[in-house]
Amino acid sequence: MSGFTLRLKAPATERMTLSGITPAKLSALTAHEIARLDVGIEKGGLSLGDAFDISGSAGDVITIEGATSGLDFIGAGLDNGTIRVVGDAGSYAGRKMAGGKLEIHGNAAHFLASGSTGGMIHVWGNAGDNLGSMIPGDRFGMLGGITVVEGNTGSRAGDKMRRGVIVVRGKTGSHTGSRMIGGTIWAEGGIGPEPGLMMRRGTLIGPSVEKLLPTFVDTGKHDLVITRIISRYLKSALGDLAPKPMPLFVQKIGGDLATIGRGEILLPAA
Amino acid sequence: MSKTVNGVVIDDTFAEAFGMSGTGIIITADTLKWARIAATVATGFGTSVIGCGAECGIDKELSPDETPDGRPGVRILIFGFSPDSLVPQIRNRIGQCVLTSPGSACYAGFTADKTIGLGKGPRLFGDGYQTAKKLGGTRYWRVPVMDGEFVIEEETGLTTDAVGGGNMLILGTDRAGLLETAEAAVDAIAKVDDVITPFPGGIVRSGSKVGAKYAGMFASTNDAFCPTLRGTVQKSELAPDTLAVLEIVIDGLTSKAVADAMRAGLKAVTDTGAKRGVTRITAGNYGGKLGQHHYHLKDLI
Repeated sequence: MSGFTLRLKAPATERMTLSGITPAKLSALTAHEIARLDVGIEKGGLSLGDAFDISGSAGDVITIEGATSGLDFIGAGLDNGTIRVVGDAGSYAGRKMAGGKLEIHGNAAHFLASGSTGGMIHVWGNAGDNLGSMIPGDRFGMLGGITVVEGNTGSRAGDKMRRGVIVVRGKTGSHTGSRMIGGTIWAEGGIGPEPGLMMRRGTLIGPSVEKLLPTFVDTGKHDLVITRIISRYLKSALGDLAPKPMPLFVQKIGGDLATIGRGEILLPAA
Repeated sequence: MSKTVNGVVIDDTFAEAFGMSGTGIIITADTLKWARIAATVATGFGTSVIGCGAECGIDKELSPDETPDGRPGVRILIFGFSPDSLVPQIRNRIGQCVLTSPGSACYAGFTADKTIGLGKGPRLFGDGYQTAKKLGGTRYWRVPVMDGEFVIEEETGLTTDAVGGGNMLILGTDRAGLLETAEAAVDAIAKVDDVITPFPGGIVRSGSKVGAKYAGMFASTNDAFCPTLRGTVQKSELAPDTLAVLEIVIDGLTSKAVADAMRAGLKAVTDTGAKRGVTRITAGNYGGKLGQHHYHLKDLI
């Protein structure tokens, strides 16, 4: 497995933005050009070579070692290849990612996978607020791809999400799926309070929900074909990372009736 | 030079077949029984493009492992003159026969670069309550119906390299034995993937010639092969002891599949035909000028 390794030189003096630092981009540059890439956010500029020890050679993998939550936009714009983050990632990791794989062996901060259209993100730790959400200026949050978070997530996961799948092994925070337009969020550890605020369409799946909004209604027990399709799709896409299939019968909670109310929260039927 | 295999004469001729557009669709249901019912109804009245608009049939049954939703299913094939002519056929057959069938769901049953709408029409039955779920590259529509949800994939694959009209004519001296042999051939062909035999039970008793004495009739009875006309028509193809002729017509998604199916059918006939009174196998063609695909019987035995 060839590729560059970026080892953070401690301590960082400012936040850094690693937008566009992708295997394809680094492979096309000379060592000198790579070292000169600006990753700072302040006026003076901060070059990649000043902030990181760069080793390895061109390849389809980048490994970021010693990563901290001060590194924002890791994997932003990634469309193929793999970025491995050893440590924590800052905010906006996987922003507008279109393909490839982003592995974060630690926690991710806020706005993970915002506006992403494809690819696979795997976080070994927790994710902060607004996972798969939109940022100001966007029309939509996550638009495709799969994100798997082994830990818990903060609030408003999937805000304005339109497509794609988010799998959370732990619990989601409050207002999961707020303003959701489509897509699927599967919280294996349970859905946090007041999910789906102003959601139009989309699917939230979990074993339980902490507190429902009054604008969601129980539509009863159903054996839905679509839950089988989602499970089989995730099994084929994620293998062992896929969530355990839902039971045959699910309780479908429909809402948010404050909007068009075509969204759904699916719980195991009691 | 004709050949004789196990006492059955095989003419030195060829089946002439035509290029068609074709697609495959998977229909699932809670049980195989109901998947079969939906598939049978959806492929009904689909024997010949001339009068039915499409040629349809069941390709095979699928185990739960082979379907997108893990339920038992059936794969059907639909063939038409052109992609444009397939559009209303798919919409109407799926909309009237699969959407309506209890517990059914409907998926792409053929993968190709070209696609044709599958759920694009039937989804509108949802009257605005339908929702889409896109997983990977596949979009599924969920249409609320009275027994739950009808799930249908948005598109299925389309080929314009399909073949329609692969055929063989089986001649015999005993009508019952001939039918049994033809049934055995249809069963053998059913084991070949990507092909259907669109006629009733896979068998045609009314082979046709091109044209007729009546204006407006595109096809009429193949008098040269009608046993009751032997001797009274200008040219009869039938030996004095031939009592009946049955034809098997084969449509396939690829030319190779049609050839494989003809090979399987011919083998079934030559293996068991002679003792059931089958005397000869020939094939229908138009002199080779009309169809792009020629299947020479001697190459397939």
